[in-house]
Amino acid sequence: MKPPAVSVSEVGVTYRSYIERVPTVRRLVARRRLRRSVAVAALDDVTFDVCQGETFGLVGDNGAGKSTLLRIIARTMRPDQGSVTVRGETSTLLQLGAGFNPELSGRRNVYLSGLAHGLRMAEITRLFDSIVEYAGLAEAIDRPLKSYSSGMLSRLAFSISMHLLPDILLLDEVLAVGDAGFREKSLGAMRDMLMRGGTVIVASHSLQMVEEMCDRVLWLERGRIRGLGLAEPVVEAYRQAPPVTAG
Amino acid sequence: MTVTAGEAPSLSGWRTYVRNLWRWREFAWFLAISNLKARNASTSLGLFWWVLNPLIMAAVYFLVFGVIFDGRRGDADFLAWLLSGVFVFNFTATTMTSGANSILANRRLLVNIRFPRLVLPISAVIETGVGFILSIAVYYVISWPANGVAPGPTIVWLPVATGLHTIFNLGLAALTARMAVPFRDINNLIPHINRLWLYLSPIIWPLSLIEGRGGWLEQLASINPMFGLLSFYRMALMGRELDVAAFLTALGWILVVGAGGIISFVRHEGNMVRHL
Repeated sequence: MKPPAVSVSEVGVTYRSYIERVPTVRRLVARRRLRRSVAVAALDDVTFDVCQGETFGLVGDNGAGKSTLLRIIARTMRPDQGSVTVRGETSTLLQLGAGFNPELSGRRNVYLSGLAHGLRMAEITRLFDSIVEYAGLAEAIDRPLKSYSSGMLSRLAFSISMHLLPDILLLDEVLAVGDAGFREKSLGAMRDMLMRGGTVIVASHSLQMVEEMCDRVLWLERGRIRGLGLAEPVVEAYRQAPPVTAG
Repeated sequence: MTVTAGEAPSLSGWRTYVRNLWRWREFAWFLAISNLKARNASTSLGLFWWVLNPLIMAAVYFLVFGVIFDGRRGDADFLAWLLSGVFVFNFTATTMTSGANSILANRRLLVNIRFPRLVLPISAVIETGVGFILSIAVYYVISWPANGVAPGPTIVWLPVATGLHTIFNLGLAALTARMAVPFRDINNLIPHINRLWLYLSPIIWPLSLIEGRGGWLEQLASINPMFGLLSFYRMALMGRELDVAAFLTALGWILVVGAGGIISFVRHEGNMVRHL
């Protein structure tokens, strides 16, 4: 059996969050602290593997820890506890328009994004025409990015990510935007990704899509694993569960 | 590739880090040039502002401190003294500001993409360094005809001065970048620190102003790295005599701030994303 593409082991992340108090004269005189910090566990003892070639879904309410978990897997953030092992190159679409500078042209932004991923200038030049064509941008690529619609932005971001030929593609709610035609196209691209043995990890609120696309699903609730297994039963259980109020 | 909590950078870790920095060198350069372009993209004078800004700044300082306060005090080369001081200091001041911004301005890159974070302050230093080199050209264009300060043989020291200065600035940029991520307050503090530092350095006043005054003024002068750095620059640019003691103090600062800033930055870079 092939080793897992991603192994997350006992990962914990705690954010410090501040509770502001209204600075009254009494509090100021008494020199009470106006800010009290509380620890919020974004992830708590999370352990799971993602197999190579698998489409893996993350579901959970807002604030359940999905985005934090994707950051940990992308290794742009170090966990407070535990460890994560990733085999292969990851490419991420965690927030739309990753690293884009709105003042610059689409062309410059393509280079900026590719270089940030560690590509060489020459490699990006070689891929450039194909990236523009896939994003359907044509001559708009030389316009400043601030003139782009959100659909154009997401198409460009997705096109760049796909051209990086990652082993593992991390998606955070990116399929919610863009027109229907683009959704079709990106679903096709994800299938291509799987055809060549790549792994996709997708966090999404559109449960139907998760159910259709994913092999397995992880359900997070307030940073803890609430369910893990085949897509349909886990998504169904999540659907049935009463909404969690912020604790 | 495994990332574990609380991982301490080892010696081999540092070697990998440097290799990665080298891999991302084109990114550092491209980001700097892109930011230079973007900053003035919507102005009609565009890149010309990179020459115009130091010129206007120098004119204001000359009017206020040279003419109104008569800071010239009989120094025939006052204009060259002022310009060299302002431009050198400005390189440091602007790197501190853009260093502090370098992480926050690129938060989307940091959240999404894995790369050695030190690339960002390095890019900030490149960006301001381009402006500095332009301002050195401006310095000669003005002070040569005005004060007759032509480039002499000492100009061979200029690249050395700029190199040392760049190391110092990179350390400062890394330090402000690392501090500005958890403590955004730093951004409010930096302009005040810079203004105070400017007035405490021999830029808008000649050295004769504090000579023999003793007390804390001279003590402060003996620890301020700008004294030695400026002395070295003015040897290169104006043919002035080098204050060796001050230069050695500055050299110490350059090593401490350069290495300290970089090490402190790299040790904390794994935690940056959680503050964004």
